[in-house]
Amino acid sequence: MQLKFLDTLRKNKMRYISLVAGFFLFVAPFALFSRLVYFAIGNVADPTLHTICLRMPIDWMFSGRYYSLIGSVSAAFVIGVILLSFFLGPVFCGWLCPVGAVSEGLSRVIPLPSKFRLKIKDPKVTRGLRYGFLAGFIAVSVFAGFKIFGDQISSVCCRYCASATLQNLVDAAFGNATALEYWHTGGIMVLIGWLIIGGVLMFGGRGWCLFFCPLGAMSNLAHKAGSKLGMYRTEYDKTKCTDCNSCKEMCPMWAINDDKSIETTLCINCKECVNRCPKGAYSMRWGRKKDAGVAQQN
Amino acid sequence: MNKTVLIAFAAMFVITLSLGAYAAVFGKSEMVHFWVAFPAGNVTEPITLRGAGPPVSMAPIVIDLDSRGALKNALNPNIEALSTHWIYNLGKKPVRVQLELANTTFPVEWSVSANLPYDEEAHTFTERLYPGQSIKNLGIDWYFRIPAYYMDEQIVYQGGLKVIDADTKQVLTFIPIIIGHGQEIVGGVADCCS
Repeated sequence: MQLKFLDTLRKNKMRYISLVAGFFLFVAPFALFSRLVYFAIGNVADPTLHTICLRMPIDWMFSGRYYSLIGSVSAAFVIGVILLSFFLGPVFCGWLCPVGAVSEGLSRVIPLPSKFRLKIKDPKVTRGLRYGFLAGFIAVSVFAGFKIFGDQISSVCCRYCASATLQNLVDAAFGNATALEYWHTGGIMVLIGWLIIGGVLMFGGRGWCLFFCPLGAMSNLAHKAGSKLGMYRTEYDKTKCTDCNSCKEMCPMWAINDDKSIETTLCINCKECVNRCPKGAYSMRWGRKKDAGVAQQN
Repeated sequence: MNKTVLIAFAAMFVITLSLGAYAAVFGKSEMVHFWVAFPAGNVTEPITLRGAGPPVSMAPIVIDLDSRGALKNALNPNIEALSTHWIYNLGKKPVRVQLELANTTFPVEWSVSANLPYDEEAHTFTERLYPGQSIKNLGIDWYFRIPAYYMDEQIVYQGGLKVIDADTKQVLTFIPIIIGHGQEIVGGVADCCS
């Protein structure tokens, strides 16, 4: 088990280095990316992970708060991530996002046997759940923003925010104890859902990303469209496959179908399958032309 | 699309709507967010002020500790918070904004971040906020550390937020705040994601 862990670490070291870099780029007290942006635009506020809020701009888009989008760093960031996903796949999710990195990292370092971890075997069901959340998120934004049910429904951004929970945990680690003293009901639910259920108890540790991240879901829609047009993607060559299933055991996003093809509405181009497959059945590709034997993307 | 996928989609859709409904319930008494504008005088009832930018609705803030979520009450009852992201100058002159919480009888911690220089000691924004403008990238959280012996009181805190012109010391807006048990919530609660 130890050897397997070290082998995975070695083969995917660039991604793990990138995920660590993502932490320093976006999470305060470092937030190097956000500091640079704030410096460039002359903003004297202290940047935190909230500076690149991964949810509110999506809420604003559907709730009629268009004025909030204007001049917003987080709105520019979210739109940038979605556009990038069209061309390169959801690389922010797979290579930089500190929220996903922490839960995935936790999943990898806690030696809970796979049989005790939750996983939905059919990626189509996972996809149904994921996009059910996205549809619900948009519906809530519309209902809350346009007061369709008065004040009976409230946005699901800030009240259930894994980024806020992560930032609070880090703030506390760097000496601001208050950040961990105050918990609201949604914060407690997120801590349990993101780190314990989604992180430790779910296979791959990306339960939150799969089921409760609207930006992740939208990024994957962009990726699906992009990959159909030949943008950067993971592809499967069935002629090289020996059905060892090691790809399925490794994919943190449960994105490998029964026929081993890649489910692009879930795949984050993390390259774990590419680096894992002993026969090289998975590869990263540009362009629309497919070789004989390469399975059609779903 | 097969039936299982549709059921999964529908189930998650309903769960998400339920989360929105639940957020609306506990959001009225946990980490309550509210809008601030000045000059508004003593805000004794719900009012809406209009000026540059969106309309600003304010009301006395009433937090009913009994209406909080079960997890909050069970695991973290003794610390409550208020928050604002919105302070608007709807007056006619530039103001150096000073904030003050009135009548605090137990520790309240301030956490302030804004794109406007701020003096932590004096709770004052050291540059003027011009008419028609709001403080950009504002995040103010007030953490009320309620001593255990206060928790059974009907009224735990009765005071309010003063918005003061730091140069003249004139109170421009006063928003009453009550934290207690069985209190009737009158409004003034904003969606934190606005």
